[in-house]
Amino acid sequence: MKAAIWAGVNEVTVEDVPEPQLLNDHDVLLRIHKTVTCGSDLHLIGGYIPAMRAGDVLGHEFLGTVVEKGKAVQRVQVGDRVVVPSFVACGSCWYCSQELYSLCDNGNPDPGITEGLWGQSPGGCFGYSHAMGGYAGSHAEYMRVPYADVGCFVVPDGVSDTRALFASDSVTTGWTGAHLGGTKPGDVVAVWGAGAVGQMAARAAMLLGAEQVVVIDRLPERLAQVRQHVGAEAVDYSTTDVVAELRERTGGRGPDVCIEAVGMEAHSTGVQGAFDQVKQQLRLQTDRPSAVREAIRACRKGGSVFVLGVFAGPVDKFPLGAMMNKGLTVRGAQQHGQRYVPEILAHMESGALTTEHLATHTMPLSQAAEGYRIFKDKEDGCVRTVFEPGS
Amino acid sequence: MMDRLLRQAAGLGGAALGKLQHTRIPGVGQASTTEPADVAARRWRAVTVFRDDLAGPFPELEALGPDLEVRLQPAPGGRGTELYGRFHGTPGADRIGELRAALRRTKQLAEVGEVLRVDPQPHGTRKPTVQGAALEGAAARAPKEGVL
Repeated sequence: MKAAIWAGVNEVTVEDVPEPQLLNDHDVLLRIHKTVTCGSDLHLIGGYIPAMRAGDVLGHEFLGTVVEKGKAVQRVQVGDRVVVPSFVACGSCWYCSQELYSLCDNGNPDPGITEGLWGQSPGGCFGYSHAMGGYAGSHAEYMRVPYADVGCFVVPDGVSDTRALFASDSVTTGWTGAHLGGTKPGDVVAVWGAGAVGQMAARAAMLLGAEQVVVIDRLPERLAQVRQHVGAEAVDYSTTDVVAELRERTGGRGPDVCIEAVGMEAHSTGVQGAFDQVKQQLRLQTDRPSAVREAIRACRKGGSVFVLGVFAGPVDKFPLGAMMNKGLTVRGAQQHGQRYVPEILAHMESGALTTEHLATHTMPLSQAAEGYRIFKDKEDGCVRTVFEPGS
Repeated sequence: MMDRLLRQAAGLGGAALGKLQHTRIPGVGQASTTEPADVAARRWRAVTVFRDDLAGPFPELEALGPDLEVRLQPAPGGRGTELYGRFHGTPGADRIGELRAALRRTKQLAEVGEVLRVDPQPHGTRKPTVQGAALEGAAARAPKEGVL
């Protein structure tokens, strides 16, 4: 079968690879209909997470049809059209019982790498390096999904492939941030980053009852999507002092909930941006945390900051004093998708949650290298490139 | 020549992973791991299994031989049962790695009913690079490594 693979730093190719097979009784095999680029893939492709082996299949946000199932699979049937969260969770450990699915004890078969880095191992993630389990990703014609009864969700007939596709990762990640960030009815929520995850965090906050939601970015086409498709306010950080703007828009308080949806390759202006770029390139810090710093400065006293963007290692100039003295709650997580997908699909079916606008570019899987180039360069207003392995 | 270099790189990758949890750079690895290796080697290794009724036999642990001591105790807060293993004497890194992997397999068998596999799986061309070989060595050793 054809698959898009990581062939080296900033090198994506499409190759013929062996088809996957059932390895465990709880597995299913999917025929992939749609699979999509993600900003966090760029960290892998660019070599910022040095745990990719040349030949690894990329992709962790996808939708497909079940074509084969293991003998222990009960809830999912061959022929089901399903969407699957990007994190692998067993559904049986204590973390899964607490609905903290991305922390599953049994989802990462290579826990030694992340235990060594972070002290504990989170669950595994499809197509996201050998630090996160070494699973083959979804940019392929077929894919194996372990723990299928826990991770596969049947898509209602009235929801299109393109809309449901983003329930795999973008919406679930956004929903995780808005919910675990503690968004309550009447809150003011600010979101850093107007990519797919940031937009969906904003929409989730609105559906959870937030009264005012502000999204911060610098790309005009993404800010326009925020206004048109999400219904939130938009702020251009390249022309505005974000902290002052948020203070003015919130009666001097600052947002109740601040959600960072940018990650380790954050762009920022001025001295701070140059400082982080230089330190990261010299490997004096692994990640660029400018949006996290700004979120902590902007947040109201006693408020909540949620880190949704992907980070891997230490950062510099973390404003610990502001966090402590303002009494902030700072929390982060990968997505606990299995907890939220049923609710998300219901909102998609009702029309309250739409995602089709995120799929700005669609192409065959054979054009994966070009799709990633357009996505990385944000060319032609690209927000996400969707690949169709069957076309 | 190249094959030999790649084998050495794979070995170094595995060894580097073994050292990671003892790295003492703040923010990297486990900076709090300051005790001598022989003291660390004699510690109990444990997993918490989300089963209140957990009981032996544990074939994965028994396979490690008679010098392994095993004990169970209830975990607080309804978190199941704590399963501990410790070798008599001062085991080497390889034996501790075998214990880590056996504890993880035992937990999976008790909680899920099977041990998760990841290989074989689809992949494209594996270029013969030193960095890639080191990563493969680290990944191969990962089930036996970590801070457990």
